[in-house]
Amino acid sequence: MIKKIVFNIAVVFLAVFVLDFVIGGTLRNFYFRETSGSFFRGTYSMEITKADILVFGASTAVSNYVPEVFENSLGVTFYNTGQNGLGIFFQLATLKSVLKRYTPKLIILSCGESFSKDKESYDKLAYLLPYYSKHKEIRKIVELKSPFERIKLISEIYPFNSQIFTILVRSIEIAKINDSSKKGYDASYKRWAHKIDTVNTYTTYAEDQNKVMALREFITQAKESGANIFVVYPPVFQKFNMRQEIEIYNRICLIEKVPFWDFSRDTSFSNNKSLFADVDHLNHNGAMLFSGLVAAKIKQAINKDGP
Amino acid sequence: MTFTSFNFLIFFPLIVILCYSTPVKYRYVTLLTASYFFYINIKPIFALITAGVTLSTYLFTRLMGKTNSWPWKKRFMVINIVLILLPLFFFKYFRNINAGIFVLLELFHLKCPLPEIKLFLPIGISFYTFMAIGYTVDVYNEEIEPEKNLGILALFVSFFPLILSGPIERAKNMLPQFKAQINLDYNMVAQGLKFMLWGYFMKLVVADRLGIYVDAIYGNIYQHNGTSLLFASFLYPFQEYADFGGYSLIAIGTARILGFNVMQNFKRPFLATSMSEFWRRWHISLISWLTDYVYTPLSFSFRKYKVWGIVIALMITFFISGIWHGATLAFVVWGLMQGLFLSIEALTNKEKSIFEKKHNLSKKSWYVSMGVCFTFILFAASEVFARATSINDAFTVYRRIFTVPGTLFIGRLSILIYGVFGLSILLLKDLRDEFAPSWFLLFENKHKFVRVIAYSSIIILVLLIGVFDGGQFIYYQF
Repeated sequence: MIKKIVFNIAVVFLAVFVLDFVIGGTLRNFYFRETSGSFFRGTYSMEITKADILVFGASTAVSNYVPEVFENSLGVTFYNTGQNGLGIFFQLATLKSVLKRYTPKLIILSCGESFSKDKESYDKLAYLLPYYSKHKEIRKIVELKSPFERIKLISEIYPFNSQIFTILVRSIEIAKINDSSKKGYDASYKRWAHKIDTVNTYTTYAEDQNKVMALREFITQAKESGANIFVVYPPVFQKFNMRQEIEIYNRICLIEKVPFWDFSRDTSFSNNKSLFADVDHLNHNGAMLFSGLVAAKIKQAINKDGP
Repeated sequence: MTFTSFNFLIFFPLIVILCYSTPVKYRYVTLLTASYFFYINIKPIFALITAGVTLSTYLFTRLMGKTNSWPWKKRFMVINIVLILLPLFFFKYFRNINAGIFVLLELFHLKCPLPEIKLFLPIGISFYTFMAIGYTVDVYNEEIEPEKNLGILALFVSFFPLILSGPIERAKNMLPQFKAQINLDYNMVAQGLKFMLWGYFMKLVVADRLGIYVDAIYGNIYQHNGTSLLFASFLYPFQEYADFGGYSLIAIGTARILGFNVMQNFKRPFLATSMSEFWRRWHISLISWLTDYVYTPLSFSFRKYKVWGIVIALMITFFISGIWHGATLAFVVWGLMQGLFLSIEALTNKEKSIFEKKHNLSKKSWYVSMGVCFTFILFAASEVFARATSINDAFTVYRRIFTVPGTLFIGRLSILIYGVFGLSILLLKDLRDEFAPSWFLLFENKHKFVRVIAYSSIIILVLLIGVFDGGQFIYYQF
């Protein structure tokens, strides 16, 4: 009887293995053949770009850094590797993959990440799963998701869990029209319409040491590669006194001796509805202004230190 | 560790091997150790409460067995019930009692609240407490002998497939099984695996996916219009069914692989044509528990009031059911709504039956469909109180449904597509099981090839569109 049970389970496993291999392989093929959308931008950042300036960050990176402003002002090529909703773990993984191929001249890390302990940040590492087999350098980061990721990744489908619809839709030509991003920058033409009062509260939280270590590793790897690194906290609409993450960025940048430019309470941005799409993201007008300011500061910093 | 955690997929096969390799006489020791390991893995301190409930129940039921005096038997029963209810009341209701006292004192301009303690409700406490109470009452009624083996009783209270969210089993069913010589049985294992597989599909593909949408809407009720709130309110009962029904199937399947038959907890509830039928199909183990230990004694006590006695017993029973689900006014209203629906049915039952017979309605598909839809609408309407975080929020949901029109919030289209796809498969299976159980057989097909493809397809669907980083089972909170 045990033989019968084991045999039947083995037959089902074999069928699952074959289906998994075929479906997973097909999804992988479609995934890496995409030419637009966020999956493509991720692949492009990790495997293709050779731009001189790379911006890393989450949605505030995507919406705030205008490629033309940097290219015209600094005379170099530019790519924005930012991904909506993805934090320092993803940024570190992207940097590691980039540095394996080449060293950009300049790296901008756009801040905004909270360093609190939250499960969601680790769940979001699922975004890196399709790259796990090809990119050895990111494996330790992916394994932060759970100690069983290596076992789960025996499945070919698992890296593409919940992505089948997006992958299939993106493989259709018509869907590519909807991708408005240019060199990773996604302009918004909305205008923020609400009033927000000054917030004086300052709540602290327990730091997630994995995130803090990832930030440090990002900065040290960038420095060791020989690239110039600038850490920038972009403007926010809301007025506030202090945020713990700003203190963390400031602290780490001081230790690592890299410039930290904090625009979060810049009065030319705060409470200026015409420059924001929402409370955290600049619209195109705001992004043009902000990019100009950052580019000017970079120029100044490079000229001061020499080429 | 939960049923959907990866650890469980390692833990469970090991336990199965360990269990069947242990001599039958000591198998309960293996299962008891595994159950406590499983529970301790969630939060070690919670296991102390489970052990306390077990010890108290063991002690007092043994005393009940030793005495021939009925008054003393009754005293021991009451003492044990009070003792084992204490942790449940403390963990579940302390905060609400505290708030109630605060409000009461404020009426007299006094401010003296009990100290605020942040308490985590021990997972499964409502379930194993009810199991222990049921056992105590059964011993008192001399329906079963008090269990002499503390280990067997401890296993009954803490049996890992059931401890977190039931089904709320009876000692009459489980204790003899724990003592019986159970051998590895191919059919039991095959059935168990099928139940587990379908349970995982219900939970990961349907419940957690619909949950993303429902949470998005109910998490911001003031930001969403009536159309979206109405749609989310219709999806929530399906989410709850897939969540709790899926959990129950995994639990039943897990137990069955280990050789134990556990009672069914859901039987295609959304195909019920009346609320009374619905409650014979939804959370069957709780309702049968409440029927045996609350409703039947109450309706016996109120028998002199005839049909109104039934109404009173129903209202009290569902009031308790509401309180069991949560110590909030919203759950009280939820429970009373169920009581009211059932009372109306009880009061009109005779006339309804005559009318149905006269027009031969019970066999007409349009009439059955109308009954199914009406029952679903009633339940979904009451579930607004279960899903909203407070009674105010529940009324806000209702108000916005009727006063704030707008287009449906879609969010990420893929979430709705996967959710509706999974739900369609679930409902189609339920329809087939209900009306044409011999049609379109997949899991039960006589051809092995079809069965293998059916099993593998479900596994592949779970891998493709299951939510792996999803939330907890809804019923853990109870």
